[in-house]
Amino acid sequence: MNGQNEENLKELFERFLDAEQAQRCVEDVQKAEQILREHPAPEPDDMLIANIKAEIAMRLPARRADVIKQFVYKAAAVAAAVVILAVASIRLFENGGIEPGEAVAYASIIPNEIWESDDIATDDAEIATFTAEVEQIEDEVLALQLGEDGSDSYSTIAELELELITIDSDFWKG
Amino acid sequence: MAKSDDLARIIIGCKNGDAQCFSQLVDMFANRCYGYFYRLTGNHDISDELLSELFVKLVEKIGSYKGGSFESWLFKISSNIFNDHLRSKQRRKKLLEVQKKQLKAQITEPKKSDNEHIDKLQRQLKRLDMDTRELIMLRFYSQLSFKEIAQVRSEPLGTTLAKMHRGLKKLREFMGGLML
Repeated sequence: MNGQNEENLKELFERFLDAEQAQRCVEDVQKAEQILREHPAPEPDDMLIANIKAEIAMRLPARRADVIKQFVYKAAAVAAAVVILAVASIRLFENGGIEPGEAVAYASIIPNEIWESDDIATDDAEIATFTAEVEQIEDEVLALQLGEDGSDSYSTIAELELELITIDSDFWKG
Repeated sequence: MAKSDDLARIIIGCKNGDAQCFSQLVDMFANRCYGYFYRLTGNHDISDELLSELFVKLVEKIGSYKGGSFESWLFKISSNIFNDHLRSKQRRKKLLEVQKKQLKAQITEPKKSDNEHIDKLQRQLKRLDMDTRELIMLRFYSQLSFKEIAQVRSEPLGTTLAKMHRGLKKLREFMGGLML
């Protein structure tokens, strides 16, 4: 436990000075420490030591009470954290329970003109593009509802719905 | 090795609030800590107070000791207590200056009874600046390595070594005449 015993003073000083200077420093330190050893400080008197021990014994019950208090506070904090987490999880679970697509506003997709048109090739291509765009938007809305996106869900859903309406009306315009 | 095992056992006992273990801790470290305080203050009464304060702090803080060198931890607290004492002494000094009372001299100067008992080393130590004196006493009484002392004082190892070497060299010079 005594750090000084494991210390090589010369090696330590040599990290900062050349060998000769380091040797001189080591000697200076050792000689000065010898002076300190030759002049020991007075020791505390027995009465003081007895008083300190009595004071410690007096304070220990208070310390134990503090330790118990700290434990109770910690336990209360952990319990509160568990309750908060449980409530948050239940809410999250309830939100997650909504059927995907429930909140998506569906539009009537295929206009009557297409059903009645004779140009099948053109109509098929338009229907395929339109369907792909609708599917992509649906996927994005679903992802937002499931919380897979870090952005502000409500405003993004509104934007996507607007986009859906625009595509829908573009389609009608041809 | 057995000594460090003993110390580890005593510390565990202290953490569990065992008065007997605290008593053993006092027996193990009271002399060194008292020497440290006495060499810094040169006053028995103040050293008594600071030593009592140290062990009371120890009771409060033992739970925060998380292993490593116990001496480092103990003497870091000792050093903080001494520096708090210095600051409060400064505050008292200023207060007394403002009040322009002669009381100042009585409080800041050591008592006559202390003067009588001050040894040669104590007189020469007073000629060193407080920081150097504290560094030397920390080294001598804590028995920490220079690396550990640098950590306790939160300064680079080179700075600690240079200050210590300068301080001890000066002390040797001051004591020189007396040693011959």
